[in-house]
Amino acid sequence: MYKVAIIGVGQTRFGEFADKGVKELFVEAFLEAINDVDKGIDPKEIEEAYIGNLGVGGIQLGNFSSMAVDQIGLHGIPATRVENACASSGFAFRSAVMAIMSGVCDVVLAGGVEKMTDIPRDKLRYWLGVSGDTEWERLAGMTFPGVYALMALRHMHQYGTKREHLAMVAVKNHKNGAQNPKAHFQRETTLERALNSPMVAYPLTIFDCCPVSDGASVAILCRADLAKKYTDTPIYVAGFGAGTDRLSLFEREDFTTLMSSVLAAKQAYKMAGIKPKDVDVAEVHDCFTIAEIIAYEDLGFCKKGEGAKLIEEGETEIGGRIPVNPSGGLKAKGHPIGATGTGQIYEIVKQLRDEAEKRSRQVSGAEIGLTHNVGGSGGTAVVHILRRG
Amino acid sequence: MAYVSIPAYWKTIPQRYSLIGLRCKNCGYINFPAREICAKCGKKSEFEPIKLSGKGKIYSYTIIAAGSTPPEFLLQEKYVGSYPVAIIELVEGPKIVAQLTDYKIEELKIGMEVEAVFRKIYEDNQVIRYGIKFRPIRKRRIHKGS
Ligand SMILES: [Zn+2]
Repeated sequence: MYKVAIIGVGQTRFGEFADKGVKELFVEAFLEAINDVDKGIDPKEIEEAYIGNLGVGGIQLGNFSSMAVDQIGLHGIPATRVENACASSGFAFRSAVMAIMSGVCDVVLAGGVEKMTDIPRDKLRYWLGVSGDTEWERLAGMTFPGVYALMALRHMHQYGTKREHLAMVAVKNHKNGAQNPKAHFQRETTLERALNSPMVAYPLTIFDCCPVSDGASVAILCRADLAKKYTDTPIYVAGFGAGTDRLSLFEREDFTTLMSSVLAAKQAYKMAGIKPKDVDVAEVHDCFTIAEIIAYEDLGFCKKGEGAKLIEEGETEIGGRIPVNPSGGLKAKGHPIGATGTGQIYEIVKQLRDEAEKRSRQVSGAEIGLTHNVGGSGGTAVVHILRRG
Repeated sequence: MAYVSIPAYWKTIPQRYSLIGLRCKNCGYINFPAREICAKCGKKSEFEPIKLSGKGKIYSYTIIAAGSTPPEFLLQEKYVGSYPVAIIELVEGPKIVAQLTDYKIEELKIGMEVEAVFRKIYEDNQVIRYGIKFRPIRKRRIHKGS
């Protein structure tokens, strides 16, 4: 099997863009990724594309991938839309990696795009929450924040986690987002503000939830032995893993862990030959603040039940033992569903190349980075481990 | 615009109206909702229908804030405002997701004993969808005479 390297990454700012549709966003991220390949690449060298998209606000539900490669002038190459809810482009990236590992392709594009703010608010209510179980959970009046609220309450019950711990995640990620010119929210917040903002689904307030964003992200991958032809600073894919779980939360035995994440992480660490303590920087799937605390535990950054302690002791801040979500995470950087997974790859590649736009956001000397991308309420999850040099 | 079509809803009525679960004859696990391959042992075994008692405890709950409900529940949001949804762990083992009714918000807690009642769930396409909600089990004192 061949080894795989990332030679270029691009990402639009995440946010609300009245003037940009799904095509414009994708083209913008693509052009940035091509220009990011420092020794240059002819886009025609790209042999295949995998593109994550859920279709929210979509103008083209069927054959989306054909529309996407058409827009970037690559019609002709095989292209596949990957849909795994919020983990769509994490899984698109995984498919691209496997296409190269297998020897089928030398150069592959992985990316994702989502346009969410074009849909009227009432229609958006139909879309949000479609990635959990519809037949039972939704028809009991459950919402997507509601499902994570159920996890949060169990975590509080079983491990003594408090609402303050959830708010600490929001404060940290807003602090990082404020340093990120590509983040949806670029302003800090306080513990008090996070705790006292309106409830969305008890015990989660609006500050425990990520925003609805537009955005796109693209990564260009190639066979590792060809990487130096394109760039002096390739970032290598050291390992990956993926998993699934019961779709409905109520059918799971334990609400305080995502089995899909645990399975994905285990495979990724094994393939990379590392332990959780070897990770220097991580982008994890904090669609809700409780999700970040659960991710600390599922990814092995701390013991089960000790996620609250990890955030409280500042270990996941930039400068801490294991900085998590230096980009601001889904919480502050934003969450354009289909674009989030390769957006995490974008951030980790920049961190490992020591290229964070603002030095205050750079995790110094980072050599090994991890991305963790979850679909819905844990129905799917994918983990990648990236390595410098 | 229906999320779960009327025929799809009808097919699950025995479970939605009467809490009928399926006990796997291979491993004994009670599957709820119904399915063809056992969620525990992964076998396409034979199932024995079993009527669940509808008694259980709150395993976890949340309160869905008005303004964030799914569109199917806009009417409820309009007239009731925020409402609680819970995961109930039934005495027979399976967990199910349902709304609570006849509750006092301040007394809700994990471990609270509840029982199933038949209620209107929501309206869609001018069809009323019925199903199960849960209410706290109260020990009532019966007063006779005046
Ligand atoms: Zn069985």
